Amino acid sequence: MKNLLEIQDAHVYIGSFYILQGISLVVPKGEVTLLLGRNGSGKTTTMKTILGIYPPREGKIIWRGGAEDEQDNDSQGEDISKLPTHKIVAKGIGYVPDTRRIFGSLTVEQNLIVSRRKGGLKGDVQDRLDFIFDLFPDMRKFYKQKAKSLSGGQQQMLAVARALMNDNDLLLIDEPTEGLSPLLAKNLISALDKLKEIATILLVEQNFRTVSKLGDNYYIFDNGKIVHQGNNMDELVADKALVAQYLGVSI
Amino acid sequence: MEKVINPIRDYLDENPRTRKILSIMSIVAVVVILVVVGIYSYSLKGFVDRTILSIVDGLALSMLLFLMVSGFFLIFGLCDVINFAHGAFFMLGGFMGFTIYLGTESFLLDLGIFGTNYFVLSIVSFIASAIGSMAVLAIVGGGIEFFTVRRLYGNAIAQILLTVGFMVIITKVAEIIWGSSVISYFITPFSQIGESGYFFISGVFNFGGILIFQIYRVFLIFLGLAIAAVMFVAFRKTRIGLQIQAGIEDSEMVEALGTDIKKLFTIVFMLGAGLAGLSGAVLVPWIGANTGHGLTYLIFAFVIVVVGGAHYGRFEGTFFGALIVGLAMKFCAYFAPALENIIVFIIMAIVLILKPGGLTGS
Repeated sequence: MKNLLEIQDAHVYIGSFYILQGISLVVPKGEVTLLLGRNGSGKTTTMKTILGIYPPREGKIIWRGGAEDEQDNDSQGEDISKLPTHKIVAKGIGYVPDTRRIFGSLTVEQNLIVSRRKGGLKGDVQDRLDFIFDLFPDMRKFYKQKAKSLSGGQQQMLAVARALMNDNDLLLIDEPTEGLSPLLAKNLISALDKLKEIATILLVEQNFRTVSKLGDNYYIFDNGKIVHQGNNMDELVADKALVAQYLGVSI
Repeated sequence: MEKVINPIRDYLDENPRTRKILSIMSIVAVVVILVVVGIYSYSLKGFVDRTILSIVDGLALSMLLFLMVSGFFLIFGLCDVINFAHGAFFMLGGFMGFTIYLGTESFLLDLGIFGTNYFVLSIVSFIASAIGSMAVLAIVGGGIEFFTVRRLYGNAIAQILLTVGFMVIITKVAEIIWGSSVISYFITPFSQIGESGYFFISGVFNFGGILIFQIYRVFLIFLGLAIAAVMFVAFRKTRIGLQIQAGIEDSEMVEALGTDIKKLFTIVFMLGAGLAGLSGAVLVPWIGANTGHGLTYLIFAFVIVVVGGAHYGRFEGTFFGALIVGLAMKFCAYFAPALENIIVFIIMAIVLILKPGGLTGS
């Protein structure tokens, strides 16, 4: 198995709107894959398609596919596009949604309890909590607070922590720095950098410069299609014409 | 729309403290006027006695209304389904309680294990009727969700038609079996023990004059509080309780974190219908089982949700709503009986005008 996840020509409709018009992408195991593009280009829908919230009308989503070498017999993978959401997630997918969507009426602790799946965590819960506290030391302070009383940055930490309460192989992280001050955004990005070691990451980000150090591969979305892809972030940053056309704000 | 200059409103917007003081003062003024009118009409002793009676009866009714409406609220909050059949569940719960009580009683009499210890026999039958009714309604509610409602999530009109249909079906079936709503079924006339029937709490606390309390109503207050307390703790301490709370806020996110949301919906339907069955069953010794209760209590459920502000997702709203509706009805029953059946709508109208979000809403 080389690719943790592979989307093969997915066509997605929301109601009568044709949103994803044939998306194909691979998420190689152990790497960080970025989805870039303007608002409404289909990045968030791609994540929800993987999660089965908007299942594709056509196309496949292959979990653990792709041959590593010729001896790799178990390379077929499994098509998860027809499964219900909770079964897809149970394969080992953690989701950090774009507007955080924490449960405000629950405390931070209760948010984390709700996020644990049955059998989702092999090791000790306390060890995992300590790992999260190492990642976000501030969380110890607001662990018993109601989530709606938290600041935006604290809520984002909670949203990430929720995805870490299970042994997830793949983390889908949608616009983590949205609405955060530059300093908070920088701290969060460095925390995500540490997560690279334990999980494969699929990251949606508007502001691609803040994550250019993080990414291994990238896909650029425009109007529900992938218009550009590559695996060299430095080249992308240098390619002014491409950035202006699909990512930047035209002046 | 053109903005009309309103100096009083502007002043109050700028001075929230003044507004608060004014609103508290106006509530106090209304209460004082009502108290004065009450004392004038019934003399001081009559007023105090009636107030105490109203509070006891009102609290008992409130607790049971709270149990019924919390089921309605859970189904609405988590599944986004306005369950028009909820009153019918409550009504059916009453008949289930009635039937199971008498069945258990005659079974235990045949068995003869309690001999002539009718008190224990009656308690066992009562517990069996409460739990049995809850279980039957949980199965009915879960079955309705699993086989019909499940196919219609996200389609509000179809859900309304479906649940209204179930309300009519359940009511008509009950009418075929037990007759029209002119007859209320109580336990004691049908009980086989003694000459005029026996129920374990049928006595009264007699403090002289009109101060006579049905012990059963006092018991209901504590029973309702106990069940409510169990529910509150269960919602805070158990994983499934937390999942339901989280799901009321954002069910898609709960699903995306790995919960089988369809299973949770079925469980909540079972729980909601079960609570309706339980409250219906324990109310039988007081108000009886009646095929007309389906519609009446459905309307109470709506009023309580709106008055309490529970339609904005606040669980405590059902508690305050039930308290206000129950107490208002019973105060009217003792002070102005003509108003008993319309007071809830008057309150709803006032709340909707003054605080459209309900008492706990914004």
